[in-house]
Amino acid sequence: MKFGRRAFLQFAAGAVGGTLLSPLPWKLADDSAIWSQNWSWRPSPERGLVSKVPSTCLFCDGGCGIQVHLVNKKNAIYIEGNAANPVNQGGVCPLAASGCQFLYAPYRVSQPLKQTKARGDASGFQPISWEQAIGEVGAALGKMRTSGNSQGLAGISGRPRSSMFHLWRQFFSAYGSPNLFQMPSHADSLELACMLTLGHEATPAFALERASYVLSFGANLLEGWGAPARMQSVFGQWRQERAGIAQPKIVQIEPRLSLTATKADEWIAVKPGTQCALALGIAHVMIKNHLYDDFFMTSQVVGFEDWIDAGGNTRQGFKSLVMQNYAPAQVAEWTGVAAARIEEIAGQFAAQEYAVAIWGEDGGKTPDNIYSDLSFLALNLLKGNMQPGGMVSLVPPVPLEVLPEVQMDQWAYRGLQQPRLDLTQTRQLPLPGNGLYAFLDTINRGGSPYSVEMLMIYEANPVYSLAENRLIKEALGKISSVVTFTSYMDETALQADLILPNHMALERYDDVIGLPGVPYAYYAVSRPVLPPRLQTKHTGDVILALAATIGGTVKGSLPWKNFEAFLQSRVKGLAAAGTGALAGKPGVQPWALQSGQAPKSNYKNPKDLWNKLTSGLCWYGPPVDALQQINTASGKYELACVSLQNRGVNVEDAAVYLPHFAPLTPSGDAQAFPLLMMGYRRLNISSEYLANPPFMTKTLWDFLLKGNDLFVEIHPETAKSLGLKQGDRATLTTPEGEVKVRIRIFAGAHPGTVCVVHGLGHTAYDEYIQDKGININDIIEVQMDPITGMGTVWATRAQLARA
Amino acid sequence: MSDNGHTQSGVLYGMAIDLDKCTGCMACSVACQAENNISFRPDESNKLRSITWMEVYYLDNGAEHPDYRFSYLPRPCMHCNAPHHSPCTFVCPVNATVRDEATGIVGHIYPRCIGCRYCMVACPYHARDFNWWDPAWPEPMEQMLSPKVSTRMRGVVEKCSFCSHRLNAARSKAYLDGLEMSEVTYTPACVEACPSQAIAFGNLLDEHSEVARLAKSERAFRLLSKLNTEPKVYYLSRHPWLHNLANASL
Repeated sequence: MKFGRRAFLQFAAGAVGGTLLSPLPWKLADDSAIWSQNWSWRPSPERGLVSKVPSTCLFCDGGCGIQVHLVNKKNAIYIEGNAANPVNQGGVCPLAASGCQFLYAPYRVSQPLKQTKARGDASGFQPISWEQAIGEVGAALGKMRTSGNSQGLAGISGRPRSSMFHLWRQFFSAYGSPNLFQMPSHADSLELACMLTLGHEATPAFALERASYVLSFGANLLEGWGAPARMQSVFGQWRQERAGIAQPKIVQIEPRLSLTATKADEWIAVKPGTQCALALGIAHVMIKNHLYDDFFMTSQVVGFEDWIDAGGNTRQGFKSLVMQNYAPAQVAEWTGVAAARIEEIAGQFAAQEYAVAIWGEDGGKTPDNIYSDLSFLALNLLKGNMQPGGMVSLVPPVPLEVLPEVQMDQWAYRGLQQPRLDLTQTRQLPLPGNGLYAFLDTINRGGSPYSVEMLMIYEANPVYSLAENRLIKEALGKISSVVTFTSYMDETALQADLILPNHMALERYDDVIGLPGVPYAYYAVSRPVLPPRLQTKHTGDVILALAATIGGTVKGSLPWKNFEAFLQSRVKGLAAAGTGALAGKPGVQPWALQSGQAPKSNYKNPKDLWNKLTSGLCWYGPPVDALQQINTASGKYELACVSLQNRGVNVEDAAVYLPHFAPLTPSGDAQAFPLLMMGYRRLNISSEYLANPPFMTKTLWDFLLKGNDLFVEIHPETAKSLGLKQGDRATLTTPEGEVKVRIRIFAGAHPGTVCVVHGLGHTAYDEYIQDKGININDIIEVQMDPITGMGTVWATRAQLARA
Repeated sequence: MSDNGHTQSGVLYGMAIDLDKCTGCMACSVACQAENNISFRPDESNKLRSITWMEVYYLDNGAEHPDYRFSYLPRPCMHCNAPHHSPCTFVCPVNATVRDEATGIVGHIYPRCIGCRYCMVACPYHARDFNWWDPAWPEPMEQMLSPKVSTRMRGVVEKCSFCSHRLNAARSKAYLDGLEMSEVTYTPACVEACPSQAIAFGNLLDEHSEVARLAKSERAFRLLSKLNTEPKVYYLSRHPWLHNLANASL
């Protein structure tokens, strides 16, 4: 039979029709759809019962109450806020909401690691057992001690507001080393400002919950200032519509249009670094118009009027200094704010009953110039905010059980007699505080009278997050042994000789003692919400084990069985003090308490208090008035820092005693570096110990980070003068180094500045974090405050050129 | 039948986001990712390929320094209530995305989705994202996946569900407690996380609810209301420039 063209077409048409009429193609299409949607490699979450475990967040100093959702009591899947906690009232910040990504981070350190090759070589880390790790460190410490070099142990600690820091201090004292430092924070300079004016170390707190007028001198209220979630919650309350009640007015004074500035009622774009001058200009107007309490300023304050020093000489007072140097016309020249505007702000500030001035650029992450702190305190003093029940009080101490007195043997005694290494080159500092930078400086220039043999770094990543981090990198090179206590393989851990991994924040007992800038007393305990995933060990237990290995008085000074027992012993003191109560349900308002008005205690005994604290309740107590516990020689607020006389300061210079505008000049040639580089922070970029988790990185806009390129902000005029266009690639150079960036033209940037975000540009961790953008700390410059020796950061000279 | 052409129960879930309170902290967006097992990749800076149910937009008033201001606008799915259909449900050829007439929630059923992306084109709010890749979590992050929400597969579209799994859980509890289904309240993850209490959620038909009260505020507006899509997400702001931008394209 002939199979012709016609027959072929008939057959083909029949085949197509027949197949379409059969269910086969539809069945195959359906099957392939189902099959393609059920790839075996699409993960199926483990099923099971979901329970909630309450705890306290440790990801920053904010002290939020959290509830961790667990599947089958072992997999943490979600973190929500604890509505019963008065700080965050059920809300969370993005970092806490990302918390499980730290628990399951691929870059966690799973067991003790010892570097067997050169430092920084990740392939050189060999796993060792805990017995070996503790044995080796203990033996090295014992040897250093008996060879008379106990002072050769140094430490840098993160998390200063925790009992862990007290335990470290106890250990260092018993061991015999004065060289324990903290990662820098604004509290460092505030403590010294309070030491000068009030006679004791404290930090100011602000009753923002009842403020009607907030004059914020660059305080990034919504970007991490103070206790971040408390600020978010307070801001929500400020903006709550209430019939017939006016919302508080927020005036943000800073060069860059930050998030806080755009959310404020007014933004005053001052010239960079001149907020302190503006504060004194406002003080001038208040004094000129007599908008202050004359009786209070003369009877309770030293140095408002002219005063007489120890040598019998008459010294200029604050009033006369401010009237002489800070007239609005002069201040307008410095700040770029019109004189009439200064008068207007001063009038509003003085007129509002609940007006408060707050400050602290950089989200409280770095110390401020001491004279700035003193000036802002002075403005609040003039407003009457420091009077009993006023808007400014002190962060109240928490009456935890004091640690037992340190037992000292000859080695400890000898070691503690040695000078602490925060010495500066030129002279003894008048006001030594947490001088981490002075310590690094001493090491780097070889100025130490003894050798530093071992450095311990706890829950901190200074190699990444310390401003001008080249200083710590250099110092590490001069210290023979570096031991880190961290949960993650971060930049600092990579430079260590030994990593002793700590339990991650959700796996351990820990605590939060007081909150930055918060007027009520606060204490909360974090407890393990699930068992440790890896072979990690609580650093507190490691310290106790090291003390036991060293033995003798060191062991005797740290008598606790484990860290949990230590924490329980501290809570006993809290129970005995009886000055506070537990917040157990939503609606508790600790900020409504008056000074000295202790809430009714609602726990039976120390055991009961401990049980309640570990079941997610927090402890709170009344505020402390600023002038309540004054401890100066005069018994008054020393607006003129009289005590500097006894601290070796040049007494010829009158201004040295008084709050004044004393900007530190950035180094470098203004011709070669015509711009000022300033850093800023965002709440959805973690910029310190913790790296940015993938959840948060996802929320970054593509005009901030595109691929691995970071965008820096410049004003349209600045861009024009440099010949740069939106999105251009450029080289950003400072005296510290250069980096490649891209340009974002931003009308909120101050002309002549270049603004760079903190928290990107990591070199460690994994592909979700590494190499995204640049690390501003690589190119930032730190200026040492001449009075405190603290490293302050405000601006670095810079140049931008098209790449 | 209601006047907009579909059956109406006593419940219509809606949201009100107060932009005067919103601080752009992104906690809502992060909580949404954790709650709904949203996948992520090493580089998320290509926003046309990134999956985000709660996207936070950046808006500005276009002025010069020092009058320049910006604002954030968190954008979940609007769960449009337009007559007969939402833009996305109208175009879906396989009924993968449907509006629940009893609650007003626009759901998306992943196994039904054939990945044609008509809905993405139809949605004027860019609320929908497509799975261009198999979702993958770095070891051992699969352990933090929630069993309450299935992970999605390559080739399907996904979007905000108003955390409808939380509604189901709340209804189960209400049933056991012997309560009325129409009285069930629940809180989506974004609302729960917001630290400045900027988001209210509830039944728009219950005139005593916070969300119904806010929706009637003189500060309230909706996005692209000129399109008559009837979004059930309301925004509040005291700034006229934000009201004006709401009717421009996102």
